[in-house]
Amino acid sequence: MADSNILLRVENLCKEFPVDTDFISKRRGTARSVHAVNNVSFDIRAGETFGLVGESGCGKSTTGRCIMRLTEPTSGHVYFEGKDVAAMNKKELKELRRNMQFVFQDPYASLNPRMTIGEIVSEPLVIHDMMPNKDERIEFVRGLLDVVGLNPEHINRYPHEFSGGQRQRVGIARAFALRPKLIICDEPVSALDVSIQAQVLNLLSDLQQEYGTAYLFIAHDLSVVQHISDRVAVMYLGNMMEYSDWKTLYAEPCHPYTQSLLSAVPIPDPDIQASRNRIILRGDPPSPIDPPSGCPFHTRCPIAQARCSQEKPELREVLPGHYCACHFAEPNPIKESSIEL
Amino acid sequence: MFGFGLKKRNQQDLRDTPIPEGHHLLEVNDLKMYFHTQDGVVKAVNGVSYTLDRGETLGVVGESGSGKSVTSLTIMGLIDMPPGHVEGGDVLYRGKSLIGMSEEEMESIRGNDIAMIFQDPMTSLNPVYTIGRQLSEGMRLHKGLSKKEALDRSVELLRMVGIPNPEQRVKEYPHEFSGGMRQRVMIAMALACDPDILIADEPTTALDVTIQAQIIELMQEMQQKNGNAIIMITHDLGVVADIADKIMVMYAGSPVEFGTRDEIFYNPIHPYTWGLNRSIPEPVMDEKHPLTPIKGNPPSLVDLPEGCSFAPRCPYATDLCRSTVPPVHTTKTGHYAKCHYCNDAEFVAANAPETSRTRAGRTEAQKGGEA
Ligand SMILES: Nc1ncnc2c1ncn2[C@@H]1O[C@H](COP(=O)(O)OP(=O)(O)OP(=O)(O)O)[C@@H](O)[C@H]1O
Ligand SMILES: Nc1ncnc2c1ncn2[C@@H]1O[C@H](COP(=O)(O)OP(=O)(O)OP(=O)(O)O)[C@@H](O)[C@H]1O
Ligand code: SF4
Ligand code: SF4
Ligand SMILES: [Mg+2]
Ligand SMILES: [Mg+2]
Repeated sequence: MADSNILLRVENLCKEFPVDTDFISKRRGTARSVHAVNNVSFDIRAGETFGLVGESGCGKSTTGRCIMRLTEPTSGHVYFEGKDVAAMNKKELKELRRNMQFVFQDPYASLNPRMTIGEIVSEPLVIHDMMPNKDERIEFVRGLLDVVGLNPEHINRYPHEFSGGQRQRVGIARAFALRPKLIICDEPVSALDVSIQAQVLNLLSDLQQEYGTAYLFIAHDLSVVQHISDRVAVMYLGNMMEYSDWKTLYAEPCHPYTQSLLSAVPIPDPDIQASRNRIILRGDPPSPIDPPSGCPFHTRCPIAQARCSQEKPELREVLPGHYCACHFAEPNPIKESSIEL
Repeated sequence: MFGFGLKKRNQQDLRDTPIPEGHHLLEVNDLKMYFHTQDGVVKAVNGVSYTLDRGETLGVVGESGSGKSVTSLTIMGLIDMPPGHVEGGDVLYRGKSLIGMSEEEMESIRGNDIAMIFQDPMTSLNPVYTIGRQLSEGMRLHKGLSKKEALDRSVELLRMVGIPNPEQRVKEYPHEFSGGMRQRVMIAMALACDPDILIADEPTTALDVTIQAQIIELMQEMQQKNGNAIIMITHDLGVVADIADKIMVMYAGSPVEFGTRDEIFYNPIHPYTWGLNRSIPEPVMDEKHPLTPIKGNPPSLVDLPEGCSFAPRCPYATDLCRSTVPPVHTTKTGHYAKCHYCNDAEFVAANAPETSRTRAGRTEAQKGGEA
């Protein structure tokens, strides 16, 4: 695709974690591995929010970590502004790190308790030799704290003196210090109460408008992702199941898993909730150590056919800009007649 | 809690005594539970009131630390005293006070008349005993079943809560179960003695949505079958919209609003409830509405603000709010709120958020006007 707007391109990304690392398993060749990310492809455009959803353990964080090279992919490619990240030299990698930042889920664990928030926020500037003048740097950090809604007077306080929502603001200020082009937000609001969550979501939107930063927004809360994203992707058991613009994905999902997932989210409006047809999936997701043959969803899919357990569906463009990995992809594929009541 | 010493079955089951005239299954009246700590007095539960009948589901919502769990643990007699102390109020179960009941009496109520399930099943399951043994314990203790009878019933219960191959699974240990299956086991255990009341403290918070949907469906099926009441503690307004008949909204240890599900969702009268409503993303398909967060953070329970606890964050706060604790206003239907202005219809009409009902009403009116 010759879309000059594409900032990040992920191609056939795979990540396996070995589980039987003992000597005997290795010798016998019985060592197994977790297929955490399996042949995942997508792209992120400059300035957009790309939401990544899926249930616990489906590989969202691992995908984000592979993109940042916090973990080495088993295979596949990541291109940033057209350049293969794996082929980058030291200088290019440093430049890449400057342009990609991370915001983590846990505002408690992700900040160094022995550093003041001023030191935490200015650390990326120091690492990248930007603003060597200390006074200038302090002024800049005070400005950033103000932007994220923290009192600049608190620059010398420590993380434990702040609430969860405030700590998440510190993490966001730090991520924005270098004005990166992409921020990978891994469950940035999952640990926060709804009223604080709304504050942080609004902050992320405001900063994006101001600086044109793109987000890879990882979360399991589908309504939060709907609210913040331009496009949304759904993963299951390490695989990319579907992605498209948010409206199409939420109104007319083409993948049975997306449709089931959306239908399982209770809507905080009793009238709407009572009028919905609900698909309740049976069973648990299979183990990523021993994933099913064929379609990874066939063990729980309400419309699975014989073909599904033999032949793995490829991710294909079912409608312009709408990608789906199902042999029987069509808008809302699970019909009322196949819902088990 | 998991001693296996079998006691003789308690002869009088409170569950079998009829509810006295004029009483409800459960009545919580102005309950106050404070913790006396080195940092000061933590007013964790500060005047909670509600009633609950068989077959009903009460949803308790509120932010982290608002006192949801402590309220239920107080009812169950599971708060360590000290540091806890019941500062006032009462809990009546079938007309009988649970506050001040002896530990022995409470033990026969817990798990038998009132059962509780927690967010993290691993903390409530004993890792060294089989699932079957843990399920059997309560039934042998409270129902006087033999070992064999209790095990057969355990298999039946596991089947009922949707665990495949239950004859095999009763012999397994908790770590061999997935998170969703452990929560099913907890429900089976809670329902083993057909309790009158099932208290579920964030039972699905740690689970994925597809598994949450299964668990909620299961709790509803069980309620239909057994007619028990449910107290569902959650921070997810979607979950209460789904299953609650009544809802209590808590803030800083106090219930700020209580009403039927329709009252709370379509006619809320407290500014905090409005704030929650405006903080959650709307499930819209046309245009996204911006969120309106509640500014600031919840107060410390050791050092509550003077007057209304919500005043520092409330956009409508006045000098009166900042100096005087608001009274509880109760409507004819039992809908109540703790705010100086919530009984002012004009104030409510001017400031309450839009709902799908008001929006539908307006479209209707527009259509009527055009015709
Ligand atoms: N370092 C590791 N070693 C072994 N297995 C791992 C490692 N990191 C992740 N995994 C496994 O890879 C799979 C994907 O994990 P990942 O953390 O990417 O999921 P996730 O979608 O982010 O889940 P969650 O919503 O729970 O954060 C899981 O099965 C996980 O157990
Ligand atoms: N043993 C204790 N000693 C002192 N304070 C306590 C004790 N137990 C609970 N608290 C305090 O009581 C308050 C209410 O706690 P509670 O657990 O009921 O909150 P909650 O609404 O259930 O929150 P969450 O949503 O996080 O579960 C909290 O501020 C908590 O710190
Ligand atoms: S390929 Fe088959 S099993 Fe997989 S989602 Fe489509 S219909 Fe279901
Ligand atoms: S009493 Fe005053 S501060 Fe409290 S909720 Fe009502 S208007 Fe707001
Ligand atoms: Mg993760
Ligand atoms: Mg709690």
